Amino acid sequence: MAEVKEKTLSKKLEEIHKRIKAEVPWEPVGPTPMPEVPDLRSWDMRLLKTYAPFYSPFCDLCCFCTYGKCDLTEGRRGACGIDIATQQARFILLACLIGCSAHAAHGGHILEFLIEKHGADKKIDMGPFIEIEAPNIRTVTGLKPETLGDLQIALEYVFKEIAHLLDSCHTGQEGSALDYESKALHASMLDHVGMEIADIAQIVGFNYPTSVADTPLVEMGWGAIDKSKPVILLSGHNPATSTVVIDYLREHNLEDQVEVCGLCCTALETTRYSDKAKIVGPLSRALFFMRAGIADVIMTDEQCIRTDTPQEAAKVGSAVIACLDKAMYGLEDATDMDPDKIVRRMVDNKEQFAILDSSKAAEVAVKVAMELAPQRKKEWLTEEEAIELAKKCTNCGMCERVCPNLFSIGEGITKLAKEGNFDLIRKQFLQCIGCGKCEQECPNKVPIFKIMQTATSMETWKCRAGRGPVMDTEIRNVGAPLTLGTIPGVIALVGCSNYPDIDDVADMVEEFAKRKYIVVLTGCAAMVAGMKKDADGLTVYEKFPPDFDAGGVVNIGSCVSNAHISGAAIKIANIFAALPLRGNYEVMADYVLNRVGACGVAWGAMSQKAASIGTGFNRLGVPVVLGPHASKYRRLFLSRKEEDDWKVMDARKKEIVDTVEPAPEHLAYVCETKEKAMPMIAKLCIRRNDTPQGRAIKLNHYISLYKKYIGAGLPEDIQLFVRRDADIPLVYKKEVRAYLQEIGWQPREPIGLPTLIGTYPSKIPVDAVIH
Amino acid sequence: MSAVIPRHRVNVLTGIKSAKLIEDPTEYSNLIRKAKRPLLVVGPLLLESTPDGKLLLEYAVDIAKPSNIPICATAQTKGKVVELGVKPDSVYDVVEIVNALKDPDWKGVRREGNHDLVILFGIRSDLGNQSLSTLKHFAPHLKTMTLCKHYFPHANYSLTNFKKDAKWLEFLESLIENLKKGG
Repeated sequence: MAEVKEKTLSKKLEEIHKRIKAEVPWEPVGPTPMPEVPDLRSWDMRLLKTYAPFYSPFCDLCCFCTYGKCDLTEGRRGACGIDIATQQARFILLACLIGCSAHAAHGGHILEFLIEKHGADKKIDMGPFIEIEAPNIRTVTGLKPETLGDLQIALEYVFKEIAHLLDSCHTGQEGSALDYESKALHASMLDHVGMEIADIAQIVGFNYPTSVADTPLVEMGWGAIDKSKPVILLSGHNPATSTVVIDYLREHNLEDQVEVCGLCCTALETTRYSDKAKIVGPLSRALFFMRAGIADVIMTDEQCIRTDTPQEAAKVGSAVIACLDKAMYGLEDATDMDPDKIVRRMVDNKEQFAILDSSKAAEVAVKVAMELAPQRKKEWLTEEEAIELAKKCTNCGMCERVCPNLFSIGEGITKLAKEGNFDLIRKQFLQCIGCGKCEQECPNKVPIFKIMQTATSMETWKCRAGRGPVMDTEIRNVGAPLTLGTIPGVIALVGCSNYPDIDDVADMVEEFAKRKYIVVLTGCAAMVAGMKKDADGLTVYEKFPPDFDAGGVVNIGSCVSNAHISGAAIKIANIFAALPLRGNYEVMADYVLNRVGACGVAWGAMSQKAASIGTGFNRLGVPVVLGPHASKYRRLFLSRKEEDDWKVMDARKKEIVDTVEPAPEHLAYVCETKEKAMPMIAKLCIRRNDTPQGRAIKLNHYISLYKKYIGAGLPEDIQLFVRRDADIPLVYKKEVRAYLQEIGWQPREPIGLPTLIGTYPSKIPVDAVIH
Repeated sequence: MSAVIPRHRVNVLTGIKSAKLIEDPTEYSNLIRKAKRPLLVVGPLLLESTPDGKLLLEYAVDIAKPSNIPICATAQTKGKVVELGVKPDSVYDVVEIVNALKDPDWKGVRREGNHDLVILFGIRSDLGNQSLSTLKHFAPHLKTMTLCKHYFPHANYSLTNFKKDAKWLEFLESLIENLKKGG
């Protein structure tokens, strides 16, 4: 039997080697090219030993199959045998798979679109400063993609794994929460491959900026949109729609006559293609903008588009074109219809259509917008009208009850009605996630959104256009200071707009950029970082340099550009530390976990995509801080710093050492407030290999942020991070020494080359981490 | 299942095991007094003040003092707790203290053994209810209680949805009085 198994495995490996072109000798193929679930399971289990899953069930039941509903309280199991923890893990795997599928299918669509346009042999060229063009693909699959066609090979692998993982969610399959978590980690690692495929294809196929830091500053906010012109609003994520609209306008010399603006990541994609396009804002601004009726035509593509777009658009007379089959809204498919006929029916009969041919959709959109715009009134409510409408509010409290962000807009509306004072509503607008449930629930039909919009300013902001991957040259410059700790960390603000307060993001960027961390951003977070001005009227994009260096604020791009952040971490291991990456995921992740001081912050995480992006970072060893809403994901990865296993192998001495250091302390962590998050983010950048100088810098920030936001003395766990007296920051020397003496702290030796390899069953030899 | 619908719809229970609603401060104080090792977890909503200018955190401190209940300060509350003249027994964020409480062998914030009653006070209601869900499902060795002005279905014992803050504050004051008497 063993012989047969051996033969099967080598045959499988042989097939993988063929697919990844193993004969091309850019690096030797590592131990796990195109890994399947069991291949990285031991790494996952080691992570999960220290960072155990923490579950917060949303409900007591499982209702997945017709055996149920099954009560899972008080240790009960469902009819299939599942327990409450395993059911939560199954749910999180499903969420990660949805997220991974969204990005991978986005990649698949864009790849098909661009191969049709340019051919499968189109070369991948990421510019003069990027040689490691696809760190995630290279690391996970072992393939070095040279053409768009090569990206398809990587994508086929991702699709195959997704199907396998989804299968495991069926009733009566996996029975272990930990194994489900290992599968969620696997799905989320695949997500970073899928995102990388999508964005490389976009950069190559649409000629997006690459190998450049100083991308244009683009206009943001609805005040930036010239409503006297025809306005086309693009909503979603997929630039196959928006770039073709821009092309059509350019070809017909209409670019200055038609306003093109975007919501959510499509806005970021469009401004990578044209700096004349405008960003309306994140998803939380979608319903406000649609209800304002400024858009003459709304074109939807995929992911995070409102599912009531046709209904909302119809209320204000905006035309709608659904451009991708993922969201067709029950509309008539006009893909094969004559464009002029579609235009007539849209303008004359107010009909909405699905048009799955992007060229045709673009032509129709422009023509409809130009015809409709002169016929439509686009006026804001005046302040006087808003005050009058506010008087219908009886402050019954229904709005607060349904608000996902738990605040009472009724109080703001009442204040307006009684005092004509907009201050509270302006403040509440910053907390509003834009779901519209309050207005739906209002028994007096108060037009809350219109009133809120009147209250908000027409202010415009600047956002730097997304720049794509971090350059190899930048990695060479920061590799040493980052791994030694003298640049205190990379803070990656990513994800959706489900914020407790939208200003929090800009505040976090400002705080860490001032302290000379490297701040990178993607997605909705990249937009909202620019939606706050300082006393001089400047946004963070105008105040801080765009370089991947100490104190830089870098807009990497849209959701799919998150792969360039994980890619940068891998590149530090590969370029700076010279560790081979090909099919060598475990070694890359071990390096990142132990030596790269990076922390993700998904402060407004909402979607399944955010779940998989974050979980993918976790498998690579990057901790993620989440905002309070993220407790509703049902799962975190937490350690217990005083009790958990903080042993590592000192690879140089080949000795297992108990470091005592919880570094990083958690992998997926929810903070209730911005104030708590600030010191936690700094703490999660501490790594075991910090030099004394680097550790002192990191502890200086941890302590000073703690004192600034929490107050009252030193952090309670400071002793866990001080190895020797030299680690204590100069400015707090006296205070920390006194505290350490009081609690009987003893110095300990820093570890030369910390690794988890060798502390758990793994095929990787310890020498593999030595560079 | 209780017929009480939580103030915030995001907390509507899908399940079968919901909190016992308690409206009598005496019953609450009896439950607290009966506990051998209670723990009061205070959150950032207590940094707000009443119309009279009293910090809500002062109510928490007044509840803890008579029965010598240890305090865990979450989020950024530690600074204010100290300003009120109390040294919190522990400083964690809410998910961290809940994570520790799940372990029946944990020694508790005073190293005297894990707690048998956990009182959540001042955590935002969605995060608070999710935290209580963790304890409901994974910490059968302890009971949970809330002192916030809304109903929390995942707790063992909860207050109702108070229509007026004044009534809630009255409840808290009575509770404090009861605890002082029994102290």
